[in-house]
Amino acid sequence: MSGPLIVAVPAKGRLQENAEAFFMRAGLPLIKPRGARDYRGAVAGLDDVEVAYLSASEITTQLAAGAVHLGVTGEDLVREMISDADKRVVLIEGLGFGFANVVVAVPQAWIDVRTMADVDDVATAFRHHHDRKMRVATKYINLTREFFSSHGVIDYRIVESSGATEGAPAAGTAEMIVDITTSGATLAANGLKVVEDGTILRSQANLVAARNAAWGKAERDLARVILDRVAAQARARAFREVRARFAAGTDMLVENARQKFAVEAPFGVPSSSGMLILHCPPDQVYALTNYLRENGAEAVAVADLDYVFSRDNPLYTKLEAGL
Amino acid sequence: MDASVTTRKQGPDARAETLVSSYERAGYARVAPAMLQPAEPFLDLSGEDIRRRMYLTTAPDGDEFCLRPDLTIPVSRDYLASSAAGKAAGFCYLGPVFRHRTDGPAEFLQAGIESFGRSDKAAADAEMLSLGLEATAHYGVASPDIQIGDVALFASLVAALDLPPAWKRRLIKDFNRKSNLAQDLDRLVLGGNNARPEYQGVLAALAGSDPKGAHALITDLLSIAGINAVGGRSVGEIAGRFLEQSALGASARLPCDVRDLIERFLAIQDNPDGAAATLRALAKDASMTSALAPALDQFESRTGFLEARGVDVKRVRFSTAFGRGFDYYTGLVFELTDPKRTGDPLVAGGRYDDLLARLGASDPIPAVGFAVWIERLAIYGGAP
Repeated sequence: MSGPLIVAVPAKGRLQENAEAFFMRAGLPLIKPRGARDYRGAVAGLDDVEVAYLSASEITTQLAAGAVHLGVTGEDLVREMISDADKRVVLIEGLGFGFANVVVAVPQAWIDVRTMADVDDVATAFRHHHDRKMRVATKYINLTREFFSSHGVIDYRIVESSGATEGAPAAGTAEMIVDITTSGATLAANGLKVVEDGTILRSQANLVAARNAAWGKAERDLARVILDRVAAQARARAFREVRARFAAGTDMLVENARQKFAVEAPFGVPSSSGMLILHCPPDQVYALTNYLRENGAEAVAVADLDYVFSRDNPLYTKLEAGL
Repeated sequence: MDASVTTRKQGPDARAETLVSSYERAGYARVAPAMLQPAEPFLDLSGEDIRRRMYLTTAPDGDEFCLRPDLTIPVSRDYLASSAAGKAAGFCYLGPVFRHRTDGPAEFLQAGIESFGRSDKAAADAEMLSLGLEATAHYGVASPDIQIGDVALFASLVAALDLPPAWKRRLIKDFNRKSNLAQDLDRLVLGGNNARPEYQGVLAALAGSDPKGAHALITDLLSIAGINAVGGRSVGEIAGRFLEQSALGASARLPCDVRDLIERFLAIQDNPDGAAATLRALAKDASMTSALAPALDQFESRTGFLEARGVDVKRVRFSTAFGRGFDYYTGLVFELTDPKRTGDPLVAGGRYDDLLARLGASDPIPAVGFAVWIERLAIYGGAP
């Protein structure tokens, strides 16, 4: 017996807006048939897919438990909340929003501290001076412990903080913190600076699959459709279409462009008509157009792509390999 | 079902009871500390790393408690709270401890001994090792591998080195952290000056100046800039370490001769008599004979007591680099393992003269002890 495929989506704020926009772009608009206040939704055009609106941390626990099949949540939460995360979930794809870095930050007054090696030394000295260990305020207990351990820092204690962590040093409840930051502005406003090699994780929202969920044939088929669309959209986002026409043979030209500009030729080298279609990373587009013109193209047209479907389904392959 | 919550099927382990009874007859009072312990001392003494292996719970008032992950700290705390605190006293125990493990049940039995307040340290050390050997013999592991180390030797060496305090602090910390310091030495040699490049000029200028004046200058500069102490470090402390870095200055690398000496020291692996001879020679070469003498005398005296107790010291493997990863050990550290199986200790212990002070004792109290992994011994040793 197989139930619906359950996709968990953040229930509020920017993360929800971004997630909904993401699914919309992938041609999978999320709908709430019973009204906007409902915490259960659906995907237009896909029966048997249920959308569960939950908080990001709840999505993470539900993924770990296998209670939902797919979910949108931050990598920071996955790494912090799920022990042995790679055994229990598959991070399928970064979604390009919800960027946040988990960083180690110390008071700006610590002019003698620049790197984690300094933090290590200061922690040991602190214990000698004060007869107690330096306190680190954070909600990322596991990430902090692993990161500090990898840098050999042992003379510290974690103080759990569930909010306004950046205020802890000023409030006197900790000496330093581990927290998320996007621009560093909040840290600076609180008299803190990021340790140079103290970035623990560069996190963004991810599409995550639960390895322990019930993956019957029906669920797999639905996931295949969803991931095919997500991949087509993701691939389209990563490239621009560049079209030009050539009189003579262009085998070498395509090969050179591949190497120089990381372009792909999804439809092979030109047909007898001489039309060449390339997919090019956005930041290489102008250089590529110059190159093509120097080599005989009269005109070069560049356009955005909506979807690029390919025969293989790389995201689904990734999911299947992890199940 | 989660392996960590399966119940032990056999009742009280009769063989373990016999072992602990023999410790009682040897004069160690049997104690049974509470299963539920305040978490703070364990986190404070063993470090945050132990948190992921502990079973923690929070009381309604917010205090953190844990199921005891070992018995050394509970026995020590009970001793300190008793009227015997500060006096010579020995205790033995047998009971479950709780640690999250991926390779076995989280609840497992440990027996052991803690000996407090004895000033005849070498004799007490030897007695612990010999009582540990009784435990393996009791379970049929007649000739375990005996690995010993001595934290005091490395501490004496570092104390005698002509190095800035910052280096000494780091060397000791790194030694305590892992049994192999080699890769850390590389880091220390390459590591060096961490100060901001743009500060280098200032640091160099301050390096030769009057330390008191430089300290006052930095303190003033910080307050002129409107930077107040945030968190627990005072401006004076920050200035102090900033200047310490300037003192390291050009010599921010661990000097090569010092590195060679440390490496030569840490390479020593031998039986205790051979090692002592090598160490005496090394101390002489490095003109540290008197600095290393107290620790070496203690070491040789301990070897003598081991022989007197009938331990075949030729079988004892001593290594200067051997430590047990906890910074509360201060002298002897030892592990008994099964030669047919590598790795996991059957018995492990050592001297931790700083532990009781760190648990709140007003004066230092010598302490030495060991723990016995009962289930592991029962499996490795086979049927009685």
